[in-house]
Amino acid sequence: MTTLEILLVVFVGFAGGLAVGTGFVAFLVVLGVIPRLTQLTKTMKRIHAYEWGAVFGALVGGWVSLRHSVFHLSNYWLAPIGLLHGIFVGMLAAALTEVLNVWPILAKRIGVDERIVALLMAIAFGKVAGSLFHWLYFVDHFR
Amino acid sequence: MANTVFIKPRHRVQVEPGAAVTLGQAAQIAAADGELVERLRAVPLYRVQPSDKTIVIIDMMQMVKAVLDVDESLDVQMVGPSQTIVEVVYEKRKVPFVVFLLVWLLLFVGSAMAIMNFHEDVSMQRVHRHLYEMITGQTVDKPLLLQIPYSLGLGIGMILFFNHWFRKRINEEPSPLEVEMFNYQQAIDQYVILHENKESMRHLDDA
Repeated sequence: MTTLEILLVVFVGFAGGLAVGTGFVAFLVVLGVIPRLTQLTKTMKRIHAYEWGAVFGALVGGWVSLRHSVFHLSNYWLAPIGLLHGIFVGMLAAALTEVLNVWPILAKRIGVDERIVALLMAIAFGKVAGSLFHWLYFVDHFR
Repeated sequence: MANTVFIKPRHRVQVEPGAAVTLGQAAQIAAADGELVERLRAVPLYRVQPSDKTIVIIDMMQMVKAVLDVDESLDVQMVGPSQTIVEVVYEKRKVPFVVFLLVWLLLFVGSAMAIMNFHEDVSMQRVHRHLYEMITGQTVDKPLLLQIPYSLGLGIGMILFFNHWFRKRINEEPSPLEVEMFNYQQAIDQYVILHENKESMRHLDDA
């Protein structure tokens, strides 16, 4: 490769990463998951550390998914990673249903203001059940 | 004009538990007579009760009444916000470092997984297999050790976001769900104010 080609590839790669990174941050900001976490834990002062957490996470995730590093650790490391992964995705999903304004309309139209928590639980348990079904059964029989 | 008092409620005031909130704490006061201003500043408005928890709202009408109780010949002019939010600050409970660490890890791992799934076009099964191989060095078809905690986490994350577990805290901050309900009601109220009041709009062909 000539120097020009190398520079071009570096530039294209960098530009692509920049676009994905900004998109990822915009996504997190719009859904407001980080402010919600600081509000729950009362750690508003550490918000910058949380920002860096998300940034490093994206960086490490990008790196290990593009490289094929192998660490040879115990497989029990996977359980906490899976749990954190699930909580993160669950929070994103919850934020999405909230942004879509599903809840107030549902509560008003059906007149179930009182039992909206039960509806919420139905969705949360539904997600757990569906996900378990998918990984335990569906992937073996319907692919 | 000599008897005019201008009062501007402050937006948010922090007080200690059990404190008596005076007019001077809750609002800015201006009048031609400096001595009168000093006297009005000290007028007590409200004593904070333990049952108030963390937030008390002092309405501007309470302030007007307090001023008129001092001298009913005064002309009270209210400017700015129509109420003051009084925040009762209790001694801060230290947040354990572990909690912070957990949230940090949650965001770190969550972001990493989000990017990895993005790179694989959200073929999560492949990402999970890849991750299993990466960490243990073994190849498995169904990395359930990763996938079952993931499934449970989905539900936990959702409930956590809507804050159903910590409902009993001494805290009056609304949950996102309550805010969303409020916003919706607010939008509907705005709608009916404009559309149900025949005087609010005039068309060309109206007589």
